[in-house]
Amino acid sequence: MTTLHGQTDAKTLPFTQEARQPFRLAALKRGWLHVVMVPLALLWLSPLVWILVTSLKTRTEVFDPAAGFLPQVLQWANYPGALSVAPFGIYLVNSVLVTGGILIAQLVTITLAAYAFARQTFPGKNLLFTLFLLQIMFPIYATFLTNFVTVRELGLLNSLPAMIVPFVASGYGTFMLRQSFRQVPTELADAARLDGCGHLGILWHVYLPLVKPTLIAFGIITVVTHWNDYMWPLLVNNSENVRTLPIGLGLLAKSDSGADWTRLMAATVVVVSPLLLLFVIFQRRFVDSFMHAGLK
Amino acid sequence: MVISTALSARIREAGLAYLLLLPSLAFLAAFTYWPILRSIWFSFHDVVLGDSKIIWLGLENYQRLLEDRLFWKAFGNTAFYTVITIPLAITCALLLAVALDSKLRGMAIYRSAFFYPVMIPSVAAGMVWVFLYSASYGPINKGLSLIGIPDTAWLYDSKWALPAIMVMSVWKYSGYFMLILLAALKLVPSDLYEAARLDGISAWNRLIHITLPLISPTLYFVIIIGLLHSYQIFDYVYVMTHGGPADATNVLTFYIYQNGFQYQDVGYASTLANVLLLFVGGLIAVIATVFGRRVHYLGR
Amino acid sequence: MSNKSTFGQIASGVSRRAFMVGGTAAVASAAVLRGARAQAATKVQFMYPVGVSGDINKIVSGMVAKFNAAHPTIEVEAIYAGNYDNTEQKVITSLGVGDPPSTWLPINSALQTFLGLDSLADVTQKAKAGDIYQDFLPQFLDTCVSDGKLYGLPFQPSTPVLYLNRTAMKEAGIAKAPQTWTELLEVAKTLTIRENGELKRWGLTIGGGWHDWIFECYCRQNELVPWTKDKVLFDNPAALDALEFWVKMEKAGVMPKASTWEGSANDFMAGRTAMLYHSTGSLTNLRKSSKFEVDVAFMPKNKVFGAAQGGGPIMIAKKQTDAQLEAAWTLTQWMTSTEVQSQWCRDTGYLAVRKSAWETPEMLAYLKEVPQAKVALEQSAYAGAFLQVPGYHKVREYLKSALDRTLAGEIKPDAALKEANDASNREIQRLLRRRG
Repeated sequence: MTTLHGQTDAKTLPFTQEARQPFRLAALKRGWLHVVMVPLALLWLSPLVWILVTSLKTRTEVFDPAAGFLPQVLQWANYPGALSVAPFGIYLVNSVLVTGGILIAQLVTITLAAYAFARQTFPGKNLLFTLFLLQIMFPIYATFLTNFVTVRELGLLNSLPAMIVPFVASGYGTFMLRQSFRQVPTELADAARLDGCGHLGILWHVYLPLVKPTLIAFGIITVVTHWNDYMWPLLVNNSENVRTLPIGLGLLAKSDSGADWTRLMAATVVVVSPLLLLFVIFQRRFVDSFMHAGLK
Repeated sequence: MVISTALSARIREAGLAYLLLLPSLAFLAAFTYWPILRSIWFSFHDVVLGDSKIIWLGLENYQRLLEDRLFWKAFGNTAFYTVITIPLAITCALLLAVALDSKLRGMAIYRSAFFYPVMIPSVAAGMVWVFLYSASYGPINKGLSLIGIPDTAWLYDSKWALPAIMVMSVWKYSGYFMLILLAALKLVPSDLYEAARLDGISAWNRLIHITLPLISPTLYFVIIIGLLHSYQIFDYVYVMTHGGPADATNVLTFYIYQNGFQYQDVGYASTLANVLLLFVGGLIAVIATVFGRRVHYLGR
Repeated sequence: MSNKSTFGQIASGVSRRAFMVGGTAAVASAAVLRGARAQAATKVQFMYPVGVSGDINKIVSGMVAKFNAAHPTIEVEAIYAGNYDNTEQKVITSLGVGDPPSTWLPINSALQTFLGLDSLADVTQKAKAGDIYQDFLPQFLDTCVSDGKLYGLPFQPSTPVLYLNRTAMKEAGIAKAPQTWTELLEVAKTLTIRENGELKRWGLTIGGGWHDWIFECYCRQNELVPWTKDKVLFDNPAALDALEFWVKMEKAGVMPKASTWEGSANDFMAGRTAMLYHSTGSLTNLRKSSKFEVDVAFMPKNKVFGAAQGGGPIMIAKKQTDAQLEAAWTLTQWMTSTEVQSQWCRDTGYLAVRKSAWETPEMLAYLKEVPQAKVALEQSAYAGAFLQVPGYHKVREYLKSALDRTLAGEIKPDAALKEANDASNREIQRLLRRRG
């Protein structure tokens, strides 16, 4: 492996692979890719299409077999109708604060811990790493009772931090990032060390820029996960001013009488839209690390 | 002198390492280790949610578990789910990641198309699939009737309800694993492929002999995460089938939730959680020894 | 970010009470100053589930705001807590740490569970002081009674009813709803449609997920209440007869082996099933979302008519200050008062608990417009509480599993019921021993 990446180090290619391909070959490859991907993507997207279409129907149109797939008249009123069941504006702000808080806290804790596990030697390393993994191995519902008591004793019940603190450390993120850190060629760190960088300097200037795609992937996953948290926020919080979007959504997915389909789907679109936007923006940043390291 | 300098350098390094782990460990101790310790203690007692009275039982809860028909059923369901769904979703994700690892136009649309299911809140996604799986008016049955498969109420049938949830999981989670693997591919220097391509190595061989070893650290991560993945279908079981019909979709995390919260039987729920932890821990240890050794890291 | 702990605010209730005895003058002036009011008013919480419409959240908030405006010395905080299960879990978790809400709204089956935790205030004496025993419909009040003592007041009762696709019935030439089990099977047969052996429409679907609730109704139609407060009677011949009838209907090919609660409502709206057992709470949704004419009928009788009540009472926590208890009682009475109940019934489809609420002019007008709403009330005359045994959740799961496996043909009805019976009674005994 060392020799392989030795090549990489020596000279990073200035062009992307597609640019170097003969034009016709690229076109052919693209063509095949689309032939496979378009139907598959459509299959994957079909539930989303159904969500969108349903969010614009009248209640009787949803299940009437004679009504056809598209709504007769677009029922935009379903959207304000869905948002009226709860103060979704406050919920949105809270969701952003909680998810953002978790993301920032996790990025700090996992970066530090993953670096230690990937690049430092110390006694008890394997044992400690196993301890980190316990977090993902232990079923979360079995922690709720004890954590409820803890959060209460910290005086955090019915507050935004109550939804953040249990998730500040992430065994998942530490593991993911450790794997990526170990992919970074050691020579780069050695070079930085010779330039007088300490551990934290190396972490900041060498490792973090190089694993940016991993950080982005982790960020997206953690945001999506906690954006949709339901059971824990429901358990620890009471007041409208500290509630988050999934609680509002829960109001429309009633259990006694069948769902309020049109409004549930409208609220779903509203809840998912910020995430989708975020994803489209950030997936652009998935670029080859070794091209953008700026270290060569 | 030299030795003691080296030693003190090692001590300093270890000290720094512990310092770096400290923030995580502090929170893990409060919100993971403490609940686990409590859970071990609970499992030897009769503990009822909401009641301060706690009665010593010794190993009775563990004995109960061995004789609990539903525990074994949930265990079997969980194993079946994991063994089929995870290889399927990961393979699917890997192919998608390789295909979408390019700068061609339209990648954003494809990536979003495969990843968006992860974003849909489970309560909404579960409901949508209840509709999709409906007999006669459900789109899936309409589609299948075109190839001659008879109309089936998938979620009402104790044979098909779990496989139906598994299919939904592949839809939901392929994009999730795809995203992680896509990030991993970005860490691989692209000139390696280039060299291989110029040597005339076929796409399939490039995938098997170059890509896979190069992203093996992440693949290792994804397999271990995948093993724990059955934890995530709790929400869907809760929304779509509530464990039924005839317990066909009861999985261990759902069973733990049922015992701990619905039945308020905290002692038994803790016992279940501990046994699951032991089992999963053992499985991960096996994977770590068998597969972990074969992971190539580009670094050291 | 808000950092305040709601529970913490209650803790100083005693000093607040001392402040309150200071006299009406203090209270009145406090009411003028909003800031001071927060100091003076007794704070109580009301935890409620949302089961039938997202708008319930708004309605409850509106009701509580109205109450607060009318009661300057009391400040109620309405807390949405998810569905019935979530609400119960949230209340019990808070009970465990000694901080229960003042009042909450669980399903009536949870009565023994909460009594087991010694968490309910006995309001028998308070109730006797007013018109409660005279004006409340006795079948609803009974769901809050254990050993002759009253724990809370009924607030939103419901029962299963038989929903009918009127349009489909007309097409099949059926004029009236089935009255007996035998007629039910006949009508279901007529309404079932098969084309080339493939099923197009079920005659009947029993809403899954709560089919144990509907099964209890069948037992009651056989003159059996399949439980007492410390055991279940699933192995009784009357229960076996009920299950055998289900098997008979399934074998006749008129109903599916299983369904889900959500799925069965969808099936009805899409015309996949012509009749459906579902909660009265679903009336508004099914009526407004179906393309065809929806009708509601009594669940057919066998020996007698019979139903088990879903829905729930407002319960009051035992462990709170006298001032809070008093405030909680004031709230509970207000929420179950004639005007409020009449409005609540019309807004949600739940049944009003007071006789007088059914006689208000608004209600009489409503019943003219939606005569289906009356069916559930009339049927409720034959209704009793649903499975009020300790550990009812687990018992429900045992029974559901037994019913499912029987209909799937995995086990014989008698063996299934025996198994569910024994497992349930073992669980109940375990809990009672613990209490003992």
